[in-house]
Amino acid sequence: MNKKAIRLLILLIIAGTIMTGCAAGVRAESTPGTTVTDDSVYLAYLTNLYQIDRVTGAKKSDAVEKVSANVVMYAPPLVADGYVYYGDLANKFHKVSADNLRGHSWTFEGAKGWYQGKAAIADDLIIAPSTDRDIYAINKDTGELVWNYAGDFAFISEPIVVGDKIIVSAQDHHVLVLDSKTGEEIYRVEMVGAVLASPLYDPESDSVFVGSLGHDMISFDLETGKVNWTYGEGKELDSIWGTPILNGNELIFVDKSGMIIALDKNTGEDLWQNNAGGEVIAGAVLVEGEGFLVALENGTINFYAADNHAPLRSITVPGNIYSKPIVDGDQIFVPVINGDALLYTYSTTGVPGWTFTVN
Amino acid sequence: MWDAIIIQPFTNLLLLITMLVKNFGFAIIIFTILIKLLTYPLTAKQLKSSKEMQDLQSDPQYIKMMDKYKDNKEKAAEYQMKKYQEKGISPLGSCLPTIIQFPIIIGLYQAIMRVMASTPLELVKLERLVYPFLDINKILPIQNRFLWMDLGQPERLNIFGFAVPVLAILVVLTTFIQSKVMQPPATNDGGQAAAMNNSMTMMMPIMMGFMAYQFSAGLALYFLISNLTTIGQYAAMGRADWSALFPWIKKKEVKKPEVVVDLDDDEDDEDDEPEPVKVVKPSARASAKQHRPKMKR
Repeated sequence: MNKKAIRLLILLIIAGTIMTGCAAGVRAESTPGTTVTDDSVYLAYLTNLYQIDRVTGAKKSDAVEKVSANVVMYAPPLVADGYVYYGDLANKFHKVSADNLRGHSWTFEGAKGWYQGKAAIADDLIIAPSTDRDIYAINKDTGELVWNYAGDFAFISEPIVVGDKIIVSAQDHHVLVLDSKTGEEIYRVEMVGAVLASPLYDPESDSVFVGSLGHDMISFDLETGKVNWTYGEGKELDSIWGTPILNGNELIFVDKSGMIIALDKNTGEDLWQNNAGGEVIAGAVLVEGEGFLVALENGTINFYAADNHAPLRSITVPGNIYSKPIVDGDQIFVPVINGDALLYTYSTTGVPGWTFTVN
Repeated sequence: MWDAIIIQPFTNLLLLITMLVKNFGFAIIIFTILIKLLTYPLTAKQLKSSKEMQDLQSDPQYIKMMDKYKDNKEKAAEYQMKKYQEKGISPLGSCLPTIIQFPIIIGLYQAIMRVMASTPLELVKLERLVYPFLDINKILPIQNRFLWMDLGQPERLNIFGFAVPVLAILVVLTTFIQSKVMQPPATNDGGQAAAMNNSMTMMMPIMMGFMAYQFSAGLALYFLISNLTTIGQYAAMGRADWSALFPWIKKKEVKKPEVVVDLDDDEDDEDDEPEPVKVVKPSARASAKQHRPKMKR
């Protein structure tokens, strides 16, 4: 056989193997999507959704019997009224029983893009953001589309529902406020960069706080959409990937460089700053009765006191943290990637608990 | 290392073009053509080497000697090397440029994948790849809507209620055309190479079409533009054999190698090249009929 032809054939086989290997299934990388309830933890990662016993860490059920490389899920599931609502990267959104994930109720197939962000619930509607640039409002009982909002770019963060308003972060440098009944845009608030983190709503001041990759943090009045204050211009601020937290009157957030910044939530004035000691994507999380924690990308979690912001302790999770840990009761749940397990648990005092991994 | 040398520059170049033209689809087209132009010297070198090799393989004198040494591989190899040296052919000349281009193609593929970041984690990684002089705020979000396509999703066009993978079909067609017009002429090896070429002409479009069907539209667009650019390059260099694709197009009259009639019957003279030879130039008709030179013994 001609040597050149053999060479070509070998090259072709190698190229084909590499490229077909890359092509098989959905090519997206993300962190495990985690949701915690009173008795279970729900974790969406790659080809399955798992229900895990909150006390023991044992798997109770999973959603997919016949695993397919083309059906991948990363969005944290929404758990409400005994049901789990979750979307996948095969453009489908499902409702299943919270006690038996294979107890299927309905599947909505109207989207043309992936579901990356956690859905929200607004009365009898499930509000599901999709990367096809639409936000879908699905009847939670029937699975039928009630309305959809067509945006200009993919929606990947969890919407926040406050009364009859839905607040959604948009990648094209603004925050949208929609009418939850009709899906009509009430107003939008412009920001400097892409907004990837979910906003934080403060019922006390009826204000919304949100940061962007454009090195800015803003507060706006939910009722009117009027910007209360902006923070960032003239400051040494990096991009903001995480949702801020409220500690009394302090609005606390962490920029990517790891700088913890506390502002007066009413005026936006600087209160204090501290350095977390590494890059931060996940942001800060409140730890009730103690203070707050900051999860660094390298797996370090630092705890700080609520009153004087002094560092309390530090733990190291074996993996990288990109999505914020969940603190519920006296347990901390940390989803990671590049670790030996997908989910690590700790007590709020830092004592390691069970871990969950998938074979 | 790989990221810093290949992926990062490619990604930033792609982002820079995206910033300038404000559309990721156009950016992929410009980027692909640019990379094809930059790697043109390698392509040209590869073509030149492969042409020289083909010329040698269809040289009657060479064929005769290889036939003569068919049972003595050592002698055959020695003769082959001698001929390579004489004609200044590098045995690696035709595959080395391909090997050099391989990381570029993989880098191109990975750069497109990186720019099409669709999860927060992928966006974090993309942000880290961006050079400081490029403002990420002006880059994000990337407009990946192009014509009817969402470049981050596998492409389908709704035609009368059917989701038709138009881009995948175009990739199949252009890959087939590319394979056909680039197919080298048959050599004297009993038709094995021709059979191999034919099977690759069929296999490649199917494989590429499958990948275009599975991949996001951005990658499929890259395949399509890459195919079209390659066909264009071949056509511009006068190397595209359109008659292989359209049989009704008269094949360009290519100067055929001269047919050698060896008058030397000395079987024992194995070390010498066939001398003296009488060169008989065939008529145009005979040349058209004749694919393999006949050797009169």
